[in-house]
Amino acid sequence: MTIFENPPHGRLRAGGTDLMSLPGTGPYVDLRDLPGPSGVTWQPDGSAHIGALTTIAEIARDERLRAAYPALTLTAGALATPQIRAVATIGGNLLQRNRCSYFRNPAFSCHQNGGDSCPARDGLGLYSAVIDTSPCVAPHPSSLAMALLVYAAEVEVHGRSPFPVGSLYGSDPTRDHLLDPGEILLAVHLPPPVAGERAAYHRATSRSEAEWPLVEAVARVTPDGAAAVSVGGVARVPLRLPEVEQALAAGEPMEVAAGRAASRCAPTASNGYKVTLLTATVLEVLEQATAPS
Amino acid sequence: MKITINGVPTEADAGPDDVVVDVLRDGLGLTGAKAVCRTGVCGACTIKVDGTPQVSCLLPATAVEGRAVVTAEGLDHPVQRAFMAHDGLQCGYCTPGFVVEAAAFVDAWREEHGDVAPPRERIAAAMAGHLCRCGAYAGIYAAIEAACRGEHDSGTTTPARVEAVEKVTGRARYTTDIRHDGQWEGVIIRSTRAHALVTSVDVDGTTVDLLPPDRIVRYAGQPIAAVAAPTRREALAVAEAARIGYEPLPAALDDTPGAPPVYDERTRKKAPSSGEGLTLPGGWNGNVHGPFTGASRRAGTAVKRIEAARRRADPLLVTGTYTTAVQVHTPLEPHACVARWDERGDLHLHLSTQTVAMAAERAAKRWKLDANRVHVVAEHVGGGFGAKAGITVETVAAVELARACRAPVRVVLSRAEELTDAGNRPGTRAGIALLADEKGDLSALAVDVHGRGGVSVGSAVALHARLVYGTAPRRLRDFDVVTNEPPGTPFRGPGAPPLLWALEQAVDEMAHRLEEDPIALRRRWDGNPKRRALYDRAAELPLWRDRPRTGSQTGRHRRGVGVAAANWFYAVSPGTEVELEVEDDVVVARTATQDIGTGIRSVIAGILREELGLPADRIRVEIGRSGTVPGPASLGSRTTTSVAPAARDAARRLRAQGMTSGTKVVGKRRRDRGGYVTPFAVQGMAIGRGFSGAVHVTEVEVDTRMGTVRPLRVWGGIATGHIYADRPARNQCEGGIIQGIGYALYEERHVDPTTGTVLTANLEDYRIPGIGDTPEMTIHFHQDGWDHVNGRGVGLGEVSTIGVAASVANAVHNATGWRPHDLPIRPDRLLEGIRA
Repeated sequence: MTIFENPPHGRLRAGGTDLMSLPGTGPYVDLRDLPGPSGVTWQPDGSAHIGALTTIAEIARDERLRAAYPALTLTAGALATPQIRAVATIGGNLLQRNRCSYFRNPAFSCHQNGGDSCPARDGLGLYSAVIDTSPCVAPHPSSLAMALLVYAAEVEVHGRSPFPVGSLYGSDPTRDHLLDPGEILLAVHLPPPVAGERAAYHRATSRSEAEWPLVEAVARVTPDGAAAVSVGGVARVPLRLPEVEQALAAGEPMEVAAGRAASRCAPTASNGYKVTLLTATVLEVLEQATAPS
Repeated sequence: MKITINGVPTEADAGPDDVVVDVLRDGLGLTGAKAVCRTGVCGACTIKVDGTPQVSCLLPATAVEGRAVVTAEGLDHPVQRAFMAHDGLQCGYCTPGFVVEAAAFVDAWREEHGDVAPPRERIAAAMAGHLCRCGAYAGIYAAIEAACRGEHDSGTTTPARVEAVEKVTGRARYTTDIRHDGQWEGVIIRSTRAHALVTSVDVDGTTVDLLPPDRIVRYAGQPIAAVAAPTRREALAVAEAARIGYEPLPAALDDTPGAPPVYDERTRKKAPSSGEGLTLPGGWNGNVHGPFTGASRRAGTAVKRIEAARRRADPLLVTGTYTTAVQVHTPLEPHACVARWDERGDLHLHLSTQTVAMAAERAAKRWKLDANRVHVVAEHVGGGFGAKAGITVETVAAVELARACRAPVRVVLSRAEELTDAGNRPGTRAGIALLADEKGDLSALAVDVHGRGGVSVGSAVALHARLVYGTAPRRLRDFDVVTNEPPGTPFRGPGAPPLLWALEQAVDEMAHRLEEDPIALRRRWDGNPKRRALYDRAAELPLWRDRPRTGSQTGRHRRGVGVAAANWFYAVSPGTEVELEVEDDVVVARTATQDIGTGIRSVIAGILREELGLPADRIRVEIGRSGTVPGPASLGSRTTTSVAPAARDAARRLRAQGMTSGTKVVGKRRRDRGGYVTPFAVQGMAIGRGFSGAVHVTEVEVDTRMGTVRPLRVWGGIATGHIYADRPARNQCEGGIIQGIGYALYEERHVDPTTGTVLTANLEDYRIPGIGDTPEMTIHFHQDGWDHVNGRGVGLGEVSTIGVAASVANAVHNATGWRPHDLPIRPDRLLEGIRA
C-alpha cells in the first residue's frame, strides 16, 4: 500500500460525485483501486465493518445491514439520486463539502475557501444552520454521519486508532471535517446491534425526491425503551440530541420530548421555520420508530 | 485509455481531470448524453457503466477505464418504443438520459416482479435523478408502466410524434451537439459587479466587446466581452485570466424609494422589455416606471365604489396583497449558437431558437448582409418557453468571434449563465381590491402591480384584468421597479400568472364571502361561452363535488380542491405558408418554423397523411431552417394555428395538381372569417378574434406537520377549439400543469442582497418539479366555438399553464383555511401560515 507509505500529492478522489462538482482541478489521486476498503465485513461479535469505498447503493440494499442498522440503510436509500448512490461512497459521504450556495458560487469568498467572512450571514439565510456554533452557517451535508451517530459508530483512519464518527467534525469554519490533508478514511465500524431494535429516518424537503434536506432526523429505539436521536440540516455538524433522549428516558410524552430539540436553536429572521420543522421531524421519527409494526 | 462503448472497444484520449460526458461528446462525437446541469441532479448525461446508470457529468474518465459503457445511441430496449408510443417526451433533450435509466429499471423490475406495472412511487423513486423541464412526466409514467407490462417487447410502434425515434436513440442533433472541423469554443466574460463603469478590459486573446455604449454594467452577470480558443477549457482559462477594471456605482438591489438610480434620463429609454412587443408607455419616478393605466375601464368609478365600500367596511370588498417570485425558464438545452462564415461571406448559424426566421432577419440586419446570405438551422431545440427569441448574446458572441478568429465558433451558456442571465419571469407585488354589489355581481375591480424584472421594464400584469369577468368598472395600473438585477424576458403567458395568482384567489375569497360555489360564481361572472362550457363540465366532476368544506379538517394530512380560470389571447402569424415538394414518392413539407417540443412536425405530418392518404414513411417534414417559405415564431401560442391551415391548403393544392416527382406547391393560411383584431401584423404576429380559456381543478394534500403540499390530481379543461394532434397537445397541457406546480410550490430565484449575484445558479438550488411531484392529470378539450378561425383551432401552450398556481393556492385554502399570498408556497410559509 505505497499510497500510505508515500503520502500522495493531489486531491483524494473516491466516487468523485462531490469533488467533480467543485471548482478546482487535479491532480487527483484515485482511491478506487485501493485494495481492501470496499464492502461490508461482519465480525464474530455481530458488529460490522463497512469499507470506506462501499457505495451508498450497496449499503442501501444490503439486507443484513438493513436488519441490523435500519437507520443507516433508510438514510442511504433516501439521499441524493439512484445514479449518485451507485457511485458515491460512504467515505466520500462522510468527508464531502457543504452545499451552501455561497461556498459553491465562485463569486464569493468565505471561511470555507480562504476568506474571512460568512456572506450567508448577511444574505440568504433560509437554509442556514439554526443551531449557531460556528462563524460559518452552512449545515453539515452528511446524512450518513447523522445516521451513524445513533449507532455510536467509529471510523478508522489510516495511522490512527478508531474514534467516534462525531469526532470527524467540529465548529472550525474553514472545513467540513477535521482530517488533515492526505489522511485516508478506511472504514466505519458499527457496534453489534441490539436484538429487536428499530429505527426511522425522515428527510424534510419541499419536493418529493432528490433534494437536500431542510431538516433531517433519525431515531433508534431499543427494546429497553432507550432512544437515540440525531439530526441534520440544522447545525455545522451532525448532531445527537441528548436533551430529547433524556426527556424520553424520564418518561416525558414524545411530543414534549421532541419539543426539547428547540432548546439549542437560535433562529434568525429567515430560518425560524427550522425550529418548527426540527421538532416536527424529531417527533416524526420517534413516532415511526415506535409505531406498532 | 480503453473503454468498450456501446459494444465497441474504443481507445479514448482522456486525462484524469476529464469527466466522462466530455470524453463522449467532444472526444468521441457521441452526443446522446447531454451536459445540462453538471452537478449530477438532472440526469440528462446518464449512461450505463457495466449495466448501472450513472451520471457522466461527475464521473471521472478514470472510472470507466476498461469498463463497458452504454449510451442512448447504443441502447436497444423496449422502453424506447414505449417512450415513443406514450409520448414520454417533448423537446427531447432529457430523453436520452431518461431512457437509459428507465431501461435499467424496467429490466430489474421485470426480473423481480414479472410483467406487471410498478406503483407510481416506485417509478418516481427510480427516476428521481432526472428532470424534464417540459414536464412530460405523465407520458414517462405511462411509458415505463407499459414497458414493465411487456407491451413493447416486439413489433413496430406508431410514435406519437414523428421525430420521436431520433430523440429516444440520442441521434437527434441539437445546437449544442454541432461540431465543425476546426471549430473553436467561445466563452462570455461577465460582470462581477451589480453596477459599475467598466474602465478597462484586458484579455490575452481575441476579444469581442459586449458592453453597451455607455460602458456601464447594470447587473452582476452582465456580458462584458467574449473570448474564444480551440477548446472550452482553454477559453475558460483565458476568461479567468481577464482583468476587468471597474469604477463601482451604487447598486439598487431592493425596491425601496431611496435606492440608487439604475438609469439616467438618457439611458432609461433603452431599458429592455420583459414583455412581448412594445414597451408600455409611462413616466419615470426614480427607479419606478409607470403607471400604465390604459387597460382600465371607468377607472374613476371603480375607485369611488371601492373607497366607499372601504369606508363602510363592506363585507363584499375583498382586498389583498399577493407576491410572486422570479421564475426562470431554464430550458434544458441552454442558449447555444455555432457560427460559421463561409468562403463566400455567407453566415451559417446553428442556433437553439424559437424563431429561425426572425433570427435570420435580425442577423442580416445586424451584420449588414443580404437576407439570403444568412442561414439559420435549428433542427431540434431543447425547450425555450419564451427565452429563445431573436438574436441574444450567445449569437452575437459566436458570430463576431467566428469572424475575428476565422474559424467556426460555438458558444454554449453554462447552467449558471442560463439561470442568471438568459431570461426570467419578473417577480411581482400585486394589490387587489374586488367589490361585489348586493346582487353578488362584480361592481368594481382595482389592481396595482409592481413588477420587478431587474433592469427591464414591461412586466405588464394588471392589464390582463381588462379582459375577464365582464365589463364592470376597473382601475388597472402597471408599474415596474427597476433594480440592478438581470432582466426579465417573455415567459410562457407573459404577465398572466402573477395576475391570476392574485385575481383568482380574490374571486375564490369572494365566493366564500357570498357563500357561493366558486365555480358557480365564476360561471355567473364570466361571459365567455367556451369557458362556461368548461365550468359546467368541472362542476360535475366527482373531484369537485366531493371536495371538503373549507376549514373543516383538523388532522395532520388535509385534502383540498381548488379551481382557477384562465383567459388568453389568440395570436396567429397571418403570412404563414407551407411548401410541399414531391421527391420521388416522398412528399417533403417545408416552412420556416421550428419544433421546440410542441409537436409541430407531427401536426404537419398528420394533416398530410389525412389529406393525401399517405403512409408515414412517404412524408418528411423539414423545418427548423430559415430561407424557405415564411413560418411562425414559436411564441405566443401561435405555431399550430398558423401552420396547420397552410399545410392543409398546400396538401389540397398538391392533390389537385397530382403527385408527380418534382411538383412543388405552396399553401397559405387563409384569413379568418371577420379578420383580426390588429389591423396589421407586428413582428409577424396578429391578434385574432376571440379568447382562449382554461379551467383547472386541482386537488392537493397538505401535510400540516412538515409544511408540504402534494398535488394529487389535476383536471385541466382547455377551450382552444380543434385539436390537431391529440397526444402532443395533451402532453403540452400536462407540461403546463407541471410548470404551474413548479411556480406554485418550488421555483424561486434568489439573489444575494449585498452583491446582486444570483445564488440559485444550479439546478439543485433552483428547484424545478421532478417526476415525483406529478399529479394524476386529466385533460379535457372543449373543441367548439372557433368556427370563424381558419382550421377551427387556436394555440394552447400558454393558456394551459397560467392559472395553475392559483388553483393550487385555492386548494391549499380549501384544505387548511389558510390562504397563501406569497409564491412559492414553501414549507416555511405554510407552517407559519397555518399556525397563525
